Amino acid sequence: MSPRRTDTGGRIDRLKTIRFTFDGTAYTGHAGDTLASALLAKGVILLGRSFKYHRPRGLLTAGVEEPNALVTVLKGEVREPNIPATMVEIHDGLVAVSQNRFPSLAFDINAVNQLGGKLLSAGFYYKTFMGPVVGPLKGTRFWMFCEHFIRRAAGLGSAGSAKDTARYERMNAFCDVLVVGSGPAGLMAAKAASDQGARVILADLEPRLGGSANWTGETIDGAPAADWARRTVAQLEGRDNVRLLPRTTVWGYYDGNTLAALERVSDHKDQPGKGEPRHRHWAIRAKSVVLATGAFERPLVFPGNDRPGVMLAHAAERFANEFGVLPGQRIALFTNNDSAYRAAVALKKAGAAIAAIVDVRPEPSADMRELATEAGAELLAAHAVIATEGGRALSGLKLQRFDMSNGALNGEARSMHADCLLMSGGWSPTIHLASQAGARAEWDAARQAFLPPKPAQDGPVQRWIGAGAFTGSFSTAAAMAEGRAAGISAAGATNTPAALPVVDAVPGDPDPAPVFEIRASGKSFVDFQHDVTAEDVRLAHREGFVSVEHLKRYTTLGMATDQGKSSNIPGLAIMAEALGKPIPEVGTTRFRPPFAPVSIGSLAAERFGDLRPERLTPMHDWHLANGATMYSAGLWYRPMIYALAGETVEQAYVREARATRESAGIVDVSTLGKIAVQGPDAAEFLDRVYTNMFSTLAVGKARYGLMLREDGLAFDDGTTWRLGEQDFLMTTTTANAGKVMQHLEYFLDVIWPDLKVHVTSVTDEWAGAAIGGPKARQILATCVTGTAVGNATLPFMGIVRGRIADVPVMICRLSFSGEMAFEVYCGAGHSTHVWEALLDAGKPFGLVTYGLEALGTMRIEKGHVTGAEIDGRTTARDLHLDWMLSKKKPFIGSAMMDREGLIASERLELVGLIALDNRPLNGGAHIVEEVDEANPHDSIGHITACCYSPALGKYIALALVKGGKARRGTRAHVSDPLRGRFGPVEIVSNHFYDPDGNRMHG
Amino acid sequence: MVERQSPLEPDFHVGSHGNFEHGVEVILTETRPDSIVQLAAWPGEEKMLIAAIRTVTGLALPDGAGAGVSDGVKSAFGFAPGKFIVAGEAEGLADAFAKVVTPVIGTVTDISHGRTAIRIAGPKAEWVLSKFFAIDFALTAFAVGAGRSTVHHDIFAQIQRTGTDQFDIYVFRSFARSVWKALCRASEEVGYDVQ
Amino acid sequence: MLITCPYCGPRDVIEFTYQGDGNRARPEPASQNFEAWNAYVYDRLNPAGDHNEIWQHSGGCRAHLRVVRNTLTHEISSVTFVRGHHGSASRPEAEDRS
Repeated sequence: MSPRRTDTGGRIDRLKTIRFTFDGTAYTGHAGDTLASALLAKGVILLGRSFKYHRPRGLLTAGVEEPNALVTVLKGEVREPNIPATMVEIHDGLVAVSQNRFPSLAFDINAVNQLGGKLLSAGFYYKTFMGPVVGPLKGTRFWMFCEHFIRRAAGLGSAGSAKDTARYERMNAFCDVLVVGSGPAGLMAAKAASDQGARVILADLEPRLGGSANWTGETIDGAPAADWARRTVAQLEGRDNVRLLPRTTVWGYYDGNTLAALERVSDHKDQPGKGEPRHRHWAIRAKSVVLATGAFERPLVFPGNDRPGVMLAHAAERFANEFGVLPGQRIALFTNNDSAYRAAVALKKAGAAIAAIVDVRPEPSADMRELATEAGAELLAAHAVIATEGGRALSGLKLQRFDMSNGALNGEARSMHADCLLMSGGWSPTIHLASQAGARAEWDAARQAFLPPKPAQDGPVQRWIGAGAFTGSFSTAAAMAEGRAAGISAAGATNTPAALPVVDAVPGDPDPAPVFEIRASGKSFVDFQHDVTAEDVRLAHREGFVSVEHLKRYTTLGMATDQGKSSNIPGLAIMAEALGKPIPEVGTTRFRPPFAPVSIGSLAAERFGDLRPERLTPMHDWHLANGATMYSAGLWYRPMIYALAGETVEQAYVREARATRESAGIVDVSTLGKIAVQGPDAAEFLDRVYTNMFSTLAVGKARYGLMLREDGLAFDDGTTWRLGEQDFLMTTTTANAGKVMQHLEYFLDVIWPDLKVHVTSVTDEWAGAAIGGPKARQILATCVTGTAVGNATLPFMGIVRGRIADVPVMICRLSFSGEMAFEVYCGAGHSTHVWEALLDAGKPFGLVTYGLEALGTMRIEKGHVTGAEIDGRTTARDLHLDWMLSKKKPFIGSAMMDREGLIASERLELVGLIALDNRPLNGGAHIVEEVDEANPHDSIGHITACCYSPALGKYIALALVKGGKARRGTRAHVSDPLRGRFGPVEIVSNHFYDPDGNRMHG
Repeated sequence: MVERQSPLEPDFHVGSHGNFEHGVEVILTETRPDSIVQLAAWPGEEKMLIAAIRTVTGLALPDGAGAGVSDGVKSAFGFAPGKFIVAGEAEGLADAFAKVVTPVIGTVTDISHGRTAIRIAGPKAEWVLSKFFAIDFALTAFAVGAGRSTVHHDIFAQIQRTGTDQFDIYVFRSFARSVWKALCRASEEVGYDVQ
Repeated sequence: MLITCPYCGPRDVIEFTYQGDGNRARPEPASQNFEAWNAYVYDRLNPAGDHNEIWQHSGGCRAHLRVVRNTLTHEISSVTFVRGHHGSASRPEAEDRS
């Protein structure tokens, strides 16, 4: 238990104790701790098992790039796996568990995987499980056998199956300048931009703004850097034009300077506030972006570099300075650059003994020698660590002399005792967002890193400026200068800046030695999270992989949830060496969103569950109160049936349809699309849009119309009512209302801009009730005032205006059911009033309410078409609607509708079917000439709609059948192997019932 | 006259809701204007239409895209090229316009029943609306009186800023209850009153 | 992606509907030139570079817009109303963000 809490320092509040559990054990920590820092302070250094080999793993980092210490957080029944312990803020009641271990973290059976390491090397899956079977233990079938065991053994945390009840929200934001990253560069940029009056958003993924100022131990203007950061943040907080977003990961950079960010609003709280979301997805539209995202420290690749107790140098510095936690008592450092020396001094100050600084470079500078002395460390220049010792925790290491010019190790190996080994392999700027924005990174030989290209401030699509370590400027002073310049420039200003704050920092050369790997025997990890070793990379090279993109996919390097934040560059360097090429020639993979994992809930946000938008008709509540079973049709909710107690769906719709044909029925048709078509050229426009003529329609009359698409196929149908000389009310099918509107608008705007026509959606203005049946007219006669409803005043397709129960209504006599029927329209706000008045009037006549099922049944009996038949493949002729194709005028689709393929004789045509075995038919079932149940083939068509017909007393269907018209009177069969339904049918006309229309004409 | 039924009724709960213990930062209500009319001018006739709006309502509409004005009783704003929404307490506004807006100027469409007007007011109104609509609600970008056409998923909305921290949202009646429920829910974290 | 609607100002692409290639020329309604109709309905340019497109601001003012968009960079260099000659009430307010 060598790590411990120091007495002073850090952002934590030692007066506030927090209780949490990890793997069932209760622990305490302090407010401000992460799960990582709290556990480390308690001496818990074994935090996970590795992906393939189940090797014990501890913390590698202190931040978002953590590949090892992934935990699952449990909230009630909900589990969220694969969260870096470094990103979990502890709170009372936090329950976290480790992952990928069985039965326990300390004793893991699958750790034997290490012994057969070759089995799981690069390409293991491809070689063993893909392709044809060559041996007994090969191929896809073998995979199916092994999958269960491998999936259990290899992997990360498991996702839960409980419903996530947390609230997620979305937020839209606009700003002049978005600053990503709140280190010294970001704070300076935000301050400078807001000084200019710009609207600024400052986002940082950490809970505490300040970035490296919180842990470098440097001073700014004579005060600790952390204090400067706190003061600056307080200053920004007070400004109206600044929004601070801590705990917010900017994870995507999209076209037009639109950035996506995830704010963890209440993960750090025991309970979210009332109405407070767990996560908030921010869509930020920024005029300009300052990228001040810093840099990631890289590990060195050497045998045993993954043992718990080996971590990045800056991470230890962070734990000591920011959290007051010492990761070890006797610490050794292994580095190829100067930055580790500062860490050594910091840890010494915090109370650790520094055993040694092992530097691959032969001659560290005088400044570094001085720092080593200050740290009390033995300086071993031109040395390298070649092994680590210990079991589940580091106990020591082995060193050897190292010649960085050729990578050779020589001399006697030496052992050294240490409980913590810190490594630093140089720094890689966090260029992910710039890369997403399309910028191609450039290799900088001095920094040994990919740097972002020149700012894209003038770019047409993305506009960003970089600052600080992101650009490779690793000193705080340079970062602050760049940050301020970036902020001023992003705000569109050119003001001469005042003097910059004075930074007091330890000296250091930002350029590392070009050493990435120490080649000695033992597993040297490149990608810690995916267990990819240096040998795996070389194996991939030996097997012929040359492209870095292929290398990535073959070895899975950088493909884990950390997306290779710590492993990409070392992996690339090893590949480059194997290829004998310089790194820039090998290139780097392009970063894609998201920068860090994003909760799916935040993306679904308010579109989920109860919050999905619903469209309700104005009589919706009446339907619910009167026993309707609702059916969702697109976004609309419509009554399906009004079942009586004990009725099945079929019994209910048969009763409703039968009652309508025998006396009268009423149905809510408010969902029909309704478009006001107004203006002096409205009639001319409709003549062009519909296949039939509308300019000849008299005022006060309606006409059924058909529209085609430009390619000549059927598009939509409906009735259009002429309410005035220049005023039409077009109705469309429910499903196509939006599409038809867009179609009309397109032609008015783009094709015929000279037509004076306005189209307006009035679907929601009018409620509609269709009342039909032999008694329908009598019912209307008893309740309509102000107009007669007899044949003379209201002939077929006539329109009258009157009142029902003191409400103005418009009545059109038209029929979908085939009965004498009327559509009664009134203002939507009066609909229930009118609906109830109609029901009252209808009571003595046996009026029933009916739903979609009965509506569908009656339309099938009549052979009317709907979207099931107008399916985007059928023509007017296919549907026997050619009588509607005017020959007197061109219309949309007229030029293309007579193409050879559209008039061929073997096209699918609309027919009716009667089941000869008196059993129900199924929508989608195929029609065949000869049944072959074992080997179904030679479909001649399919069923589009089916029902039990109370009028015929038979199971019937509409179908599209090859050359259908000519087959009338013949037999065929349904072939529906999926549902096991086969049987004989008779092909008939689609007009099953009252084909001459005697009933509706009355 | 028969009273008009509100589509919000079953979910319209007068009182304080959500996290209101520390104060209410949003007020939600339905304005229920008696008339909502859509006016559309033929290209080139916009000024004539603006004059007609003044004749009928007395509202002097500023010229320019999305410009609008509200006197507390009547409101008018542009929401599309040459198109305007006028809402007011008086019934029969559409008939009044039909007399003034001749076929030479443009068209009049009565949408009094077809749109529902929801008002959101208070210091957090911008915050709550930003959860739904991808438009900039800041006063510097969206002036008092001005109108905007925008969309939340499938729900089309015309929004007029009728005060420094007050917005009237016109939505299709069939979607109004969904919008209302979503607005209520989104307002919970800041505390809201339904009036 | 943002498209700057001449009426509504810059809006997110989610508010717009792509309405096709803006280079299509519709033959006269009564034309019997089948080749011309076929080209209009089916032939499309697929340029690597600037493309003349029709977009509808379907989630906004609903106007159709002629948009010149670079298919390689997504840069939008021009947005105008397809149906022109609107008066002053169609132009952005002076104080509006352009």
